[in-house]
Amino acid sequence: MTTTEVAPAPAGRGAEQPAPRRHASPWKRRAPLLPALIFTIAVTQIPFLVTVFYSFQSWNLVRPGSQYFVGFQNYIDVFADSTFRTAMLNTVVLTVVCVFVSMVLGLGLALLLDRKFTGRSVVRTLIITPFLILPAAGALLWKTAMFDPVHGLLNFVFGTDIDWLSAYPLGSVMTQVIWQWTPFMTLLILAGLQAQSKEVLEAAQVDGAGRWRTFASITLPQLSRYLQLAALLGAIYIVNSFDAIYLMTQGGPGTASTNLPFYIYQRAFEGFDVGQSSAMGVIVVILTLIVATFTLRLMFRTFDVSGGVK
Amino acid sequence: MAEVVYAGASRIYSGSTPVKAVDQLDLSIADGEFLVLVGPSGSGKSTALRMVAGLEDVDEGEIRIGDRAVTDLPPKDRDIAMVFQSYALYPHMSVAENMGFALKLRGMSKEKVRAKVDEAAAMLDLTKYLDRKPKALSGGQRQRVAMGRAIVREPSVFLMDEPLSNLDAKLRVETRANIAALQRRLSTTTIYVTHDQVEAMTMGDRVAVLKDGLLQQCASPRELYDRPANTFVAGFIGSPAMNLAKLPLSEAGVTLGGFTVPLDRDVLARAGELSEVVVGVRPESLRLVGDGEDGFDLVVELVEELGADAYVHGNAGEGQRIVVRVDGRTPPRLGEKVRVGLRELGELHVFDPQSTKSIAQSSQPQ
Amino acid sequence: MRLGRISLTAFTWLVAILFVFPVIWMVLTSFKTEADAYTDPPKLFFTPTLEQFAGVFERGFLPYLANSGFVTLISTLAVLLLAIPASYALSISPVKGTSNVLGFFLSTKMLPIVAAIIPLYVISQNLQLLDNVWALIILYTAMNLPLAIWMMRSFFLEVPKEMIEAARVDGAKLPTLLYRVVLPVVAPGIAATALICVIFSWTEFFYAVNLSAARAGTVPVFLSGFITSEGLYWAQLSAAALLASLPVMIIGWIAQNHLVRGLSMGAVK
Repeated sequence: MTTTEVAPAPAGRGAEQPAPRRHASPWKRRAPLLPALIFTIAVTQIPFLVTVFYSFQSWNLVRPGSQYFVGFQNYIDVFADSTFRTAMLNTVVLTVVCVFVSMVLGLGLALLLDRKFTGRSVVRTLIITPFLILPAAGALLWKTAMFDPVHGLLNFVFGTDIDWLSAYPLGSVMTQVIWQWTPFMTLLILAGLQAQSKEVLEAAQVDGAGRWRTFASITLPQLSRYLQLAALLGAIYIVNSFDAIYLMTQGGPGTASTNLPFYIYQRAFEGFDVGQSSAMGVIVVILTLIVATFTLRLMFRTFDVSGGVK
Repeated sequence: MAEVVYAGASRIYSGSTPVKAVDQLDLSIADGEFLVLVGPSGSGKSTALRMVAGLEDVDEGEIRIGDRAVTDLPPKDRDIAMVFQSYALYPHMSVAENMGFALKLRGMSKEKVRAKVDEAAAMLDLTKYLDRKPKALSGGQRQRVAMGRAIVREPSVFLMDEPLSNLDAKLRVETRANIAALQRRLSTTTIYVTHDQVEAMTMGDRVAVLKDGLLQQCASPRELYDRPANTFVAGFIGSPAMNLAKLPLSEAGVTLGGFTVPLDRDVLARAGELSEVVVGVRPESLRLVGDGEDGFDLVVELVEELGADAYVHGNAGEGQRIVVRVDGRTPPRLGEKVRVGLRELGELHVFDPQSTKSIAQSSQPQ
Repeated sequence: MRLGRISLTAFTWLVAILFVFPVIWMVLTSFKTEADAYTDPPKLFFTPTLEQFAGVFERGFLPYLANSGFVTLISTLAVLLLAIPASYALSISPVKGTSNVLGFFLSTKMLPIVAAIIPLYVISQNLQLLDNVWALIILYTAMNLPLAIWMMRSFFLEVPKEMIEAARVDGAKLPTLLYRVVLPVVAPGIAATALICVIFSWTEFFYAVNLSAARAGTVPVFLSGFITSEGLYWAQLSAAALLASLPVMIIGWIAQNHLVRGLSMGAVK
């Protein structure tokens, strides 16, 4: 009668031993991570802390020796500064419009590319090219060859006589930024389209979904995390847009196309006002962090990284 | 060559509620033995194997290979070789490099490595493919490379983690035989994990059945089939599974559908005060009988025809589902009412409904 | 149906050419004389000349090109050197709090770079690093590191766990494991990551303009020199823009499959 080896383990035997043992020491595991972590903290966090320190100082490089503690005065001045508010608004408009429009265009291009046709790889090569052009080169190119009021191609094509950069400064800058970023969005979304399971699409067809229905109910939801990532990465870079404004409009006319990076740059390197531009920097960081916290949380939920190990 | 001993070995996954993946396992595998660890998914069989490999911590107890306690040794110092379910071949290395990698890491000379690899390749019929990358091989060939990688090292223990589960059915049967033959030839102690009870029964010298991290029974395949220690083993080993039914117990025996099977006196004695027992009977221990004979009625719900045999699934009343093996040439029709009796009066397994342990197995031993 | 397919293809081609037209125009203009570049209506046909390219080099383009090459190469190597072990510690052998560390790296990308430019300027000045390529190398490394870690981690997660275990059973220690087993397997991913670092370093403008000038200036700084003389040198500007973009363009064209894979992998895993 075989109740044999179901042996209830001899009591006490295992119990004598402390439960967890022989785990690799946590520091050994962390060691490979530390150089990158320390480097990043040193190069990105410390300068920012210094910025915070400067933001409480009155310090203008034009008046040497004038550095002293002023408390929140810089912040008060910044909030009273109408240009700062304009710049903030321009930054938001620039970022939101550029990300949105380049994503819509990118989705369209990706859909055009996501099928077999003659010369597909050539077309893809053409479309990614604007992303590979130096942004500085792209900005100058648009400023001269496209937007120039006398010899620019736009006026030639439309038969108009508009000084684009003066009449629509922000719009012009945005056009260039969108042109630059659409390929990036296209590539990301195309990758998403191609990662779709063909079987799921076929299942939808068999279930009787038409082309639009399939796109709306199957493709878009599957694309959503690619779209979110595209939006996030695009926003991170476009919020910091500097080249296009610096090279195309210098923030002008007046402050019509000044965004925060450009304004802070102006105050620091043309106005030499270290204190105030630092205060602006701090405000920008706080605002960005608020937005970023939401985005990051969204992203972690979407990509389910919080589980840590996959 | 060495024996492997689990001495009260546990693996505990920490967490808000710690999970004992392997719970105080006591098991020894003799030198040269082929032991199969079998169980459903989540039973801890792979964890138990990986504890020997050193890929999983041992939180309690210890593990010995030969006369060495290896509990705290890293995998490379345990003198083991492992074959993984996915084969885990290095995609950037040729077959020869894959097989020789471990030897190379040990600092063996190039010529010696080559000689060993050639020898193993000849044994596995891989000589033609030595310069290919794994990508250019078929599934069966990849599996053989994984075997070869283990063989060249001449370890004291082979560990195999479901090495056949990625092969198609036909190849699996073939490879099963090859692995078993190879193991006999090398007579290297082998621990083999599978969820496939056919593999377990055909390959192992002994089979250890695990469930929820606990060892249920470890015995030869025959013993396991004939004398399951509890209802879990009874239901897990054998296909189709043993019929298990909770039946009322009286002085006369157990009763199903008006059919009372007498039990031995000593079985009744061991059952003691129990008013109900779980009775197990294998499909092949049942047969169709004539109307007048002893038996119970069964309404046929499904007939599985396998050629030589057919399995009749039916309802014996009170929701009791029973499977009977019948002659494949004359199976009953769907919906028909048939009478089922025992082939031999003794071929009954009786289990305690509370502890699920075997009270008696009254078949005449082979 | 067939007609529809052909017209859709034609439409796709049209869109692509329109989209890339500014670049085509730039290439055309770079082969024009300044007089041809500056006509109304714009000229499509002209006698090509290489004089603009010669002019770009006469303006002293080479040192900027050399700076860009050096900064890009060294900072990309530094990124790989730091990111490979870090990604290992965040994927294959994950440390506690992996998601927090990842979040930290990503959040540094969200800090607007302007917020730290003033201290960076002052610190560089004090360390004699102003207009010095090493200042740019350090900053570009920090700039690309988070993205590189994020991307590479997802490539590392693709490495089958059993393969790592097989290597451990075979006796590989951590350096061997990384160098002989993991790296060859993730090589395409590392290539994609490096490519993206190269693109972002080569094209970076803000740090370059603010922290470097004649001595350590990179290609974008050279280009920004044209805003003062605009109008007069369209053709030469086009030639300079083409030359400045060409290295990244060629790498990007050749490796576009890597690029797509890199972006989307880093993306979604």
